[in-house]
Amino acid sequence: MILASIEPINGLTLSHYMLTSALLLVIGLIGFLTRRNMIVMFLCTELMLLAAAIAMIAFGRYHLDVSGQVFVIFILTIAAAEAALALALVVLLYRHKATLSAEAWSELREP
Amino acid sequence: MGPTVLYTASVFGAVAVYLLLRPGPVPIKVVGTLLGLGAGAWILKESAVVLSADEAGGAGTFFVLFSLIAIASAVRMITHHRPLYSALYFVMVVLSSAGLFLLLEAEFMAFALVIVYAGAILVTYLFVLMLAQQTPETDDQSGQPEYDRVPREPAAAVVVGFVLFALLGDMFFSPEGIADLPAPPSEQQARVAAWQQLDALPDRLASAVRREIGRSTDIEIVADRFGSAVRIEEGDAYVLVRTAESTEPQTVWLPDDAMPQNIEQVGLALIAKFPVSLELAGVILLMAMFGAVVLAQRQIELSEQEKRAAAAGDGHRRGGGISDAPPAAGTGGGGR
Repeated sequence: MILASIEPINGLTLSHYMLTSALLLVIGLIGFLTRRNMIVMFLCTELMLLAAAIAMIAFGRYHLDVSGQVFVIFILTIAAAEAALALALVVLLYRHKATLSAEAWSELREP
Repeated sequence: MGPTVLYTASVFGAVAVYLLLRPGPVPIKVVGTLLGLGAGAWILKESAVVLSADEAGGAGTFFVLFSLIAIASAVRMITHHRPLYSALYFVMVVLSSAGLFLLLEAEFMAFALVIVYAGAILVTYLFVLMLAQQTPETDDQSGQPEYDRVPREPAAAVVVGFVLFALLGDMFFSPEGIADLPAPPSEQQARVAAWQQLDALPDRLASAVRREIGRSTDIEIVADRFGSAVRIEEGDAYVLVRTAESTEPQTVWLPDDAMPQNIEQVGLALIAKFPVSLELAGVILLMAMFGAVVLAQRQIELSEQEKRAAAAGDGHRRGGGISDAPPAAGTGGGGR
């Protein structure tokens, strides 16, 4: 049932879910900054999107409103679109230099 | 949970992630793992989650289990040297997040997450990982290239990440609660809102009423003067029903399981509240598909002679030996 209880169950509050979400976001951020493999970097952005989805669902449960879940559907859409485009780019780049290292393309940055 | 606990645990967690990130011998990794587990256990102990199996279906236990699996798999994902294993650990994160969604009573999204993330997106990642398989550079026993083994600036990244985490956690566990967060609706308000959605689902309403009065045909639900059939009183709902026998409308109270379930509420919100966003999501997916096809297609450069040969071969196959097509037509030129 959607309306089981609004009170915290077993001491669980919104803050606990938000803490999990924040930790996943931070781990994804650290992974994005430290990893040098392009595919793993994009995987870390997926992790950050997942953390945002957990936060959305937790807030939606807190307000007893399904809009949070609807937003997660859109997050999934963005994640799928991002995966398709990013991986197509990675395949393209891999054909040029035969490496997945992000530093192989560091001449693209601002001087 | 006081801020001191959170900050100290953040420092421990940061050191743990740093030790796990940088390449080093196994004992250092063990120290990092223990440090991280200790920090997690300390935060759990201070944040007053009840770990009991008998109370309220053991929600606290399942929360701790799913969160720990998610966070540990996420750390392993960013520290593993093989990208394939990173992707598989991300599947673990997705599965345990689906468990958290179930605890939050978002059943539809839990299944959608498993199907879309673990099923579709991760398979795409695995495909590309195998497509872009490394030629083994044998400068290391592990066979992994240098850019997978050596992280870039782990200390700075860990500091940035855990300062952000300490700030966020401080906000969530401050004594006055999350700042500016409105109070949740009372149970009665929530019930009223759920019953009101039933008006948009006439078939479901009719079948619930039929089940209540035990008749399969010939009912007419009387709407009030605002056109809504569900009348709500103190969080409970009833409808007025006119049947074939009596002209006088009869009151039927609706049972609680006639309330729209999670998937119906999501579908209704998607169609009724966010129709434009839904269309935009479709357009975004279509554009992403076009973009991926255009980006990943392989351009084949053919010289003029090869084009002529390809065109001639094409003509032979199609025309049974007679090739009257002009050689410059370039039918086989573009590539796929």
